[in-house]
Amino acid sequence: MFHNSSQKKYWTFKSEDEVEQMRVSANEKFCKRVLETAKPVVSASVLLERYGEEVLFRHYERRMLEFCNAFKPAMPKSVVGTALMYFRRFYLNNSIMEHHPRIIMLTCAYLSCKVDEFNVSSTQFVGNLVQETPAGQERVLEQILEYELLLIQQLNFHLVVHNPYRPMEGLLIDLKTRYPMLENPESLRKSADDFLTQAVMTDAGLLFSPSQIALTAVLNSASRAGINMESYLTECLKLKEDKETLTKMYDSMRRMKTLLKKYEPPNLEEVIVFKQKLEWIHAQLASSSNKRKRGYEEDGHVAKEPRLAAEEWSDEDLL
Amino acid sequence: MDDQGCPRCKTTKYRNPSLKLMVNVCGHTLCENCVEMLFVRGSGNCVQCDTPLRKSNFRMQLFEDPTVDKEVEIRKKVMKIYNKREFDFPSLREYNDYLEQVEDIVYNLTNNIDVENTKLRMEQYQKENKDIIQRNKAKLTREQEELEELFLLEQQSNEQRRLEVLQEEQRQLQAKRKNKQALLDELEQSQLPATVLLAKHKVRAAQLETEIEQQKQNVKPTSIFSTGIQIRQNVSLQPLPRIEEVLYHYKPLQIETYGPPVPELEHLGRFGYLNHVRAAMPQDTAGGYTSALACYRAIQDAFSGLFPPKG
Repeated sequence: MFHNSSQKKYWTFKSEDEVEQMRVSANEKFCKRVLETAKPVVSASVLLERYGEEVLFRHYERRMLEFCNAFKPAMPKSVVGTALMYFRRFYLNNSIMEHHPRIIMLTCAYLSCKVDEFNVSSTQFVGNLVQETPAGQERVLEQILEYELLLIQQLNFHLVVHNPYRPMEGLLIDLKTRYPMLENPESLRKSADDFLTQAVMTDAGLLFSPSQIALTAVLNSASRAGINMESYLTECLKLKEDKETLTKMYDSMRRMKTLLKKYEPPNLEEVIVFKQKLEWIHAQLASSSNKRKRGYEEDGHVAKEPRLAAEEWSDEDLL
Repeated sequence: MDDQGCPRCKTTKYRNPSLKLMVNVCGHTLCENCVEMLFVRGSGNCVQCDTPLRKSNFRMQLFEDPTVDKEVEIRKKVMKIYNKREFDFPSLREYNDYLEQVEDIVYNLTNNIDVENTKLRMEQYQKENKDIIQRNKAKLTREQEELEELFLLEQQSNEQRRLEVLQEEQRQLQAKRKNKQALLDELEQSQLPATVLLAKHKVRAAQLETEIEQQKQNVKPTSIFSTGIQIRQNVSLQPLPRIEEVLYHYKPLQIETYGPPVPELEHLGRFGYLNHVRAAMPQDTAGGYTSALACYRAIQDAFSGLFPPKG
């Protein structure tokens, strides 16, 4: 249940500003650390600023969505939603410059397959990287396993993600049962689904409960079809007397819609520029991050070779 | 686990059921025969680890794992030095730390970790705490003595009871014999007919029997319960102070769902919710699944956290 979940307790934030602030401070923290410790070749100008990170984040998020949608066997929506949420939560407290989104996104997808009981073996999973040679897939797999623990830790072990898909089904059932005024609730499904697909690409999941997102999707779809469903809220959800809650709900729905409207796909040219920067940063910092992982390597858990080789495959190979 | 056996002559318990394995301080096993052979002169080195050993230190292996035997031996030795008790410490915490330390030492010695340092530590401790160790040792022996005394007392009383019973039996036997003899005598000398005498005898025998029975029944009352409490001791008969406890009252679980109320699982069908979900296939229901479960979950999810937080 969402109402006593870790998602409600730890991963639902009050405002867009709070979320943005967290990302800014993650970026600043990383920049500060790098400038203090790294070689003189790294100056503030070569590091990505918050805007660059945002563009790249959106870029890799789209790549991840494409990867998940092309996945064979077909991935259920909730698995994709969970994976995207992991990705979002991970970069809330981490900078893109610290951990490369290319591998994090695959790790998120891999982890979410496991958590959401979408049973694929690890070899089957990397088998979906169709552009890779078998050896390359093997390397990616090793990297995924290497990053998996880090990801879980950064998610604070809160692995259950409540997606808005089931709440939407529940709402549709409830509409069919208690709201006969609506003639064909199924007709709302298509555009509500689209709404949810867009919503996962925004911070909506970090700001609103899944049921709120689902309700907004249904109401939005209804208003597009020219149906006013206010009476459902007032009568069936018994909000007639509770004006305060009702206005608040309308308010959060409005906020959600603006959030969706504000979303724009990343500019391709910008992406190319920032990506070059990112690759350069990661190449520069590879040595120091190797140092950080050395404890691991000495234990013989992780071989050094795959890490170095990892820099060779680019995300162009992914799809 | 493989069969236990002597590492030197390779005899196993399976092949020789009477095989006796022995352990010395180093924790390596040898069978009795090999011990006899190798340690004819009273001392020698361990076959496996070359530790100098004495024959007199060989013990019967009590546990399947010889290291356990070794640990027991070591623990005995360590406990002789580390014999502080709980009331020697100001707080439970310190006592526990002390116990932890002892365990560390035993573990180190058993597993040959850092043996030199550990031994040094023990020696140092022994030097520093000489008095306490001595005192505790004395105290320990005193307690031991008291226990033994108690034990002896119990044994004595047991012996006495046994003797009494024996004497009693003898007496009864004698009485019976006397009775029989009396009958024979009377038959020999009396003028009365034999049947009368026999009848008399029978009555007397029956009397004797009942007497014996009675004696058996009124056993001398003991003055002590088996727990050692005096029988006539004044045990306080006041009822134990009752601890007044408030009885547990079941309160139905109230969960704040931050949303509109969800209909009960049982009522879903009545409200018509189930008309709008896929009916469960017969093969689904085998595991206890019903369409109401899925429906209930969807509705719960739809309503949970629907209302924005107040305030």
